[in-house]
Amino acid sequence: MTAAENVCYTLINVPMDSEPPSEISLKNDLEKGDVKLKTEALKKVIIMILNGEKLPGLLMTIIRFVLPLQDHTIKKLLLVFWEIVPKTTPDGRLLQEMILVCDAYRKDLQHPNEFIRGSTLRFLCKLKEAELLEPLMPAIRACLEHRHSYVRRNAVLAIYTIYRNFEHLIPDAPELIHDFLVNEKDASCKRNAFMMLIHADQDRALDYLSTCIDQVQTFGDILQLVIVELIYKVCHANPSERARFIRCIYNLLQSSSPAVKYEAAGTLVTLSSAPTAIKAAAQCYIDLIIKESDNNVKLIVLDRLVELKEHPSHERVLQDLVMDILRVLSTPDLEVRKKTLQLALDLVSSRNVEELVIVLKKEVIKTNNVTEHEDTDKYRQLLVRTLHSCSVRFPDMAANVIPVLMEFLSDNNEAAAADVLEFVREAIQRFDNLRPLIVEKMLEVFHAIKSVKIYRGALWILGEYCSTKEDIQSVMTEVRRSLGEIPIVESEIKKEAGELKPEEEVTVGPVQKLVTEMGTYATQSALSSSRPTKKEEDRPPLRGFLLDGDFFVAASLATTLTKIALRYVSLVQEKKKQNSFIAEAMLLMATILHLGKSSLPKKPITDDDVDRISLCLKVLSECSPLMNDIFNKECRQSLSHMLSAKLEEEKLSQKKESEKRNVTVQPDDPISFMQLTAKNEMSSKEDQFQLSLLAAMGNTQRKEAADPLASKLNKVTQLTGFSDPVYAEAYVHVNQYDIVLDVLVVNQTSDTLQNCTLELATLGDLKLVEKPSPLTLAPHDFANIKANVKVASTENGIIFGNIVYDVSGAASDRNCVVLSDIHIDIMDYIQPASCTDAEFRQMWAEFEWENKVTVNTNIIDLNEYLQHILKSTNMKCLTPEKALSGYCGFMAANLYARSIFGEDALANVSIEKPIHLGPEAPVTGHIRIRAKSQGMALSLGDKINLSQKKTSL
Amino acid sequence: MVLLAAAVCTKAGKAIVSRQFVEMTRTRIEGLLAAFPKLMNTGKQHTFVETESVRYVYQPMEKLYMVLITTKNSNILEDLETLRLFSRVIPEYCRALEENEISEHCFDLIFAFDEIVALGYRENVNLAQIRTFTEMDSHEEKVFRAVRETQEREAKAEMRRKAKELQQARRDAERLGKKAPGFGGFGSSAVSGGTTAAMITETIIETEKPKVAPAPSRPSGPSKALKLGAKGKEVDNFVDKLKSEGENIMTSVGKRSTEAAKVLAPPINMESVHMKIEEKISLTCGRDGGLQNMELHGMIMLHISDEKFARIRLHVENEDKRGVQLQTHPNVDKKLFTAESQIGLKNPEKSFPINSDVGVLKWRLQTTEESFIPLTINCWPSESGNSCDVNIEYELQEESLELNDVVIMIPLPSGVGAPVIGEIDGEYRHDSRRNLLEWCLPVIDAKNKSGSLEFSIAGQPNDFFPVQVSFISKKNYCNIQVTKVTQVDGNSPVRFSTETTFLVDKYEIL
Repeated sequence: MTAAENVCYTLINVPMDSEPPSEISLKNDLEKGDVKLKTEALKKVIIMILNGEKLPGLLMTIIRFVLPLQDHTIKKLLLVFWEIVPKTTPDGRLLQEMILVCDAYRKDLQHPNEFIRGSTLRFLCKLKEAELLEPLMPAIRACLEHRHSYVRRNAVLAIYTIYRNFEHLIPDAPELIHDFLVNEKDASCKRNAFMMLIHADQDRALDYLSTCIDQVQTFGDILQLVIVELIYKVCHANPSERARFIRCIYNLLQSSSPAVKYEAAGTLVTLSSAPTAIKAAAQCYIDLIIKESDNNVKLIVLDRLVELKEHPSHERVLQDLVMDILRVLSTPDLEVRKKTLQLALDLVSSRNVEELVIVLKKEVIKTNNVTEHEDTDKYRQLLVRTLHSCSVRFPDMAANVIPVLMEFLSDNNEAAAADVLEFVREAIQRFDNLRPLIVEKMLEVFHAIKSVKIYRGALWILGEYCSTKEDIQSVMTEVRRSLGEIPIVESEIKKEAGELKPEEEVTVGPVQKLVTEMGTYATQSALSSSRPTKKEEDRPPLRGFLLDGDFFVAASLATTLTKIALRYVSLVQEKKKQNSFIAEAMLLMATILHLGKSSLPKKPITDDDVDRISLCLKVLSECSPLMNDIFNKECRQSLSHMLSAKLEEEKLSQKKESEKRNVTVQPDDPISFMQLTAKNEMSSKEDQFQLSLLAAMGNTQRKEAADPLASKLNKVTQLTGFSDPVYAEAYVHVNQYDIVLDVLVVNQTSDTLQNCTLELATLGDLKLVEKPSPLTLAPHDFANIKANVKVASTENGIIFGNIVYDVSGAASDRNCVVLSDIHIDIMDYIQPASCTDAEFRQMWAEFEWENKVTVNTNIIDLNEYLQHILKSTNMKCLTPEKALSGYCGFMAANLYARSIFGEDALANVSIEKPIHLGPEAPVTGHIRIRAKSQGMALSLGDKINLSQKKTSL
Repeated sequence: MVLLAAAVCTKAGKAIVSRQFVEMTRTRIEGLLAAFPKLMNTGKQHTFVETESVRYVYQPMEKLYMVLITTKNSNILEDLETLRLFSRVIPEYCRALEENEISEHCFDLIFAFDEIVALGYRENVNLAQIRTFTEMDSHEEKVFRAVRETQEREAKAEMRRKAKELQQARRDAERLGKKAPGFGGFGSSAVSGGTTAAMITETIIETEKPKVAPAPSRPSGPSKALKLGAKGKEVDNFVDKLKSEGENIMTSVGKRSTEAAKVLAPPINMESVHMKIEEKISLTCGRDGGLQNMELHGMIMLHISDEKFARIRLHVENEDKRGVQLQTHPNVDKKLFTAESQIGLKNPEKSFPINSDVGVLKWRLQTTEESFIPLTINCWPSESGNSCDVNIEYELQEESLELNDVVIMIPLPSGVGAPVIGEIDGEYRHDSRRNLLEWCLPVIDAKNKSGSLEFSIAGQPNDFFPVQVSFISKKNYCNIQVTKVTQVDGNSPVRFSTETTFLVDKYEIL
């Protein structure tokens, strides 16, 4: 057992000033100093022992000179000291000195000071030596009758732990405590005693509970909590008992303490799955969420509700409570609102969708009146999304929702508006009957749209779905209105001339280099114009965009115009009208082109946009049926393709989820009979409290690999050569946060090696927990030394060191064998994880460290290369399979992983197959790795560099 | 609710002090604490993080974090409460919330942390208590020390005196030329000093004991009791509903239920010969008096649990003057019964069945004679305006009876709220769900033979009928008793026990 594996109750990380004090000076202080000096010295001793030093020489000094002191601080410090000091010899026998200490414990247990008694009793809970406890038992029992509750309650705890660890020392403990409990008045003592009974003897606990079950409401909250725990435990061990406690739990549901309510609700759900019970519990949860002001509570209790929802029969009950759940939306915290909306959305059914939509609409409108806050925008966006999903699921609602939402198209907040736009696009495509309504509404708000992106989207929708003559004409008017007077160039020049002072100082800001998502460097010049701003205000929106140099919107305008012109032609038979409409459209495009070529806009038009507009002009002038087809049918086709693909994906994921929920029982699944299962087996299966405690303490046994030997041997590293006087090899065992080096040391000489010490040092984010102790090796003998190393992050870790020894009898200096380095494989810490595209992009932009790895491999297939990288780095490919399938000579994919320490690692693979080099040419390209810390980026890069070549098949 | 550890961390995530409350290995706790800064989210409005196995709940304090590590099932409300206490403890001991200040007082903090949590469960303490606990200022210790000091002083004085005496004695002896005595006396006096010390401390403890004994009593009072009653009704509703949904619910809990049953029927020591005498009445009365029908059935059930007493005869005493019709079991010797009013089997060689209830005698009384009504009820509603004043009174006619747990149930019109009770003997209960007014009288007997109730409520006279009555009694109406049980052979008396009940089947005033 090393210190790292010992039970540890205290951690102190105090920066030791300068040198740690020597053992001699400490001894001196402890022996001769006054109380103050002794206190300080004792503190230092404790801290040193906690940090891995062994000070065996001080034990006797402390027993002789510190133990007899009556000072309170010293007494308490001593208790901490006894907690950590090794009380046994290496072979497990009790140190003789401890007999003296034991007598001191006994005296303290009979000390007139109740606090010393109490804290000594508390310390005894941590004592694991039965030999020490045995003589103390009478004193401990006596403390149960002390007049101070402080002593009594600690005595109960001491008896409890002693009974748990060494039942033979106090076999009658349950009886004793039960009698104690019956006569006890103090709430704390009662709680501890009751807790002890729960764990030691449930029957007695039940007996006691049944005598007072009617007064449960009057108990203190801590006692109520353990009662709930008891009921939970009993009912899990013994489901037939459930019926007895439902009434009691329901009473506790009305407790004045929110903690008890919460616990009782959780237990009630496990006791009964009747709708009334579930409803009562859910109602209680909702009350808690609304009444508690703390966001932590809200979130966690919401999680409980979400858990409730998972159960199909409970879901129905919760559906009735959706309106209550929505009351939580009054919380200002975004996280809470997000979770609430998600939950509400999951619970929505045809019965309650109407009410839900009404509430959401109200909320949306409310966000308008609230003073701008950064979260308000996000909240609005959330609401819009929720409404969107609602109306996708229940199309009847769409007509109701759309008018309200479309008001937001003109919102300043682009994100919410974009969501609305997306919603509108889907709605207009899927629900034919809503088209006139949407188009009308769209025309209404069109002029108010402030953002270019939204403007573009709106244009597209109008172009695509205006099918009557009137609509087409009104689109045209709207466009003209927002373009202002044409021809633009001339009117602008005129305006400029009208100005008193035509200022056109365009200052070009420093060119900013930005890294785009794909890793290419985009140059973005920040143009700032010193034009008077008032001029811009009276400009119509579209004209404003164009003068700002955003000609992409012009391109989409051109397409829209083409579409409606073509449609107009097919609707109106009159040749003259046809021609005049087309001419008007062409005029608009031409004037935009003209503007683009002039020097008026802040940025000149790009060639792409010129091409696009020219193409549209050409299409309009020729009016070929093929083009007509492409513009008016194929576009819409592709939209419906996209929407249906999306829908399918959603359905698939929903199906998966529902499959997950409806656990099917295979015909050959074993049936477990409650009566036949072993008692302990069952309780461990069901008792969530116990399970979570074990998990938290890290006691869960991890399953070994199928072939433990092979996997173990894989990780053996040879540390010295075979001809060295000492041969060493290490087995590197990686636990979650720590590495255990199991070093085998073999003495290859025929001398006895004394003081053979393994000295280790670490590089990177590793920390040695304790120094391995020296040992003596007989000739040709071998020994195992264990060393613990703590890992704090995925930085590249190297452990190096040497073995130092003395040869007995030889006069020479210490001998030294240098060990070869142990590299810690970071792959043990990297786990595939997933995140959304948006998160990926955000992290990509935020992370400071980039490591660009040039692809240098012998793999010739793109996909194979990607798979190889995925396998060797443990990362997960975020780019969907569909996007990667097929063959086109190049490939780009995003990878993501997270270390167990919570560090994110992003990678972008951009590879291509150089066709000009023939079919056998290897893949070329780059992999860019980004991480928050340098170590992560570097070590992952190294890993890829090392492993990117495929080893021989 | 299990708290694993409490730690104080710097903003950078270094744990300065950490105290664990359950058994954890060092690597585990260090790993958990090392992971915390990386998991911590800034800019969010909540302060907890969950991992696969644990939950961190933290609170920022200037340059530090107070972190609690709990299990994932832990009760968050409780944890936050604890966290608040923890974070209030720190400024108590550290002047500035900085790293070096914390490390200077790390032990004080550890001691204080220990007082807040015991084995992972929160203790019910406040800041002041923590202070007292950590300061360890004990009155008893002071008393003990003072006593000890005085004793020591006394012992010293004694010693000096003794020494002087000895010296004196030696001097005297020298003078007299005798040998000086030993020092034994000195030793014994020291010992006696010690015992007195022990005695004194004991007495101190005993005298102070009663001071603490009165514990905070439960809050009680009429208002509280009423409230609880209301809550009970709500619980009943809940339980009823659950039952209707197929959930199996026991009204009371295990042991308790048997106790409750015992309270209703006080333990009857069952002899090996046991008799149950049971009468049931069903009665219908007109509201203006006049007995429409009264029917009373009675029966003696014999239960024999010992074979030795299977061949016996029962001596029955019948004091009835109302004309009860008696009927015996066909196997019972009728002649013997009519002649000597004894019940025995026709074939005296045969024995009664063992360990089962056997009905041996039945009787029946049917009458319309008004004077036979055991308890008359006179319900008199009178209309006044749109409300109705109801006067209702009862009178025990059969004075030998003692009726227990009498409940007179008066139906009320629905939807007009609770009745206004004027005068009442006994207690009432308004069951709004069933629209009933229940007038409860724990006991009615000769000393307490009549009583009345007055209440008013909107309604018509017809609304308050039928009035129903229920009660139980331990005396029977017809006064048929078993006085003696004898063996068939030898006529020797046999010890026996009887249990008499008089129950209501139906008791209505139409």
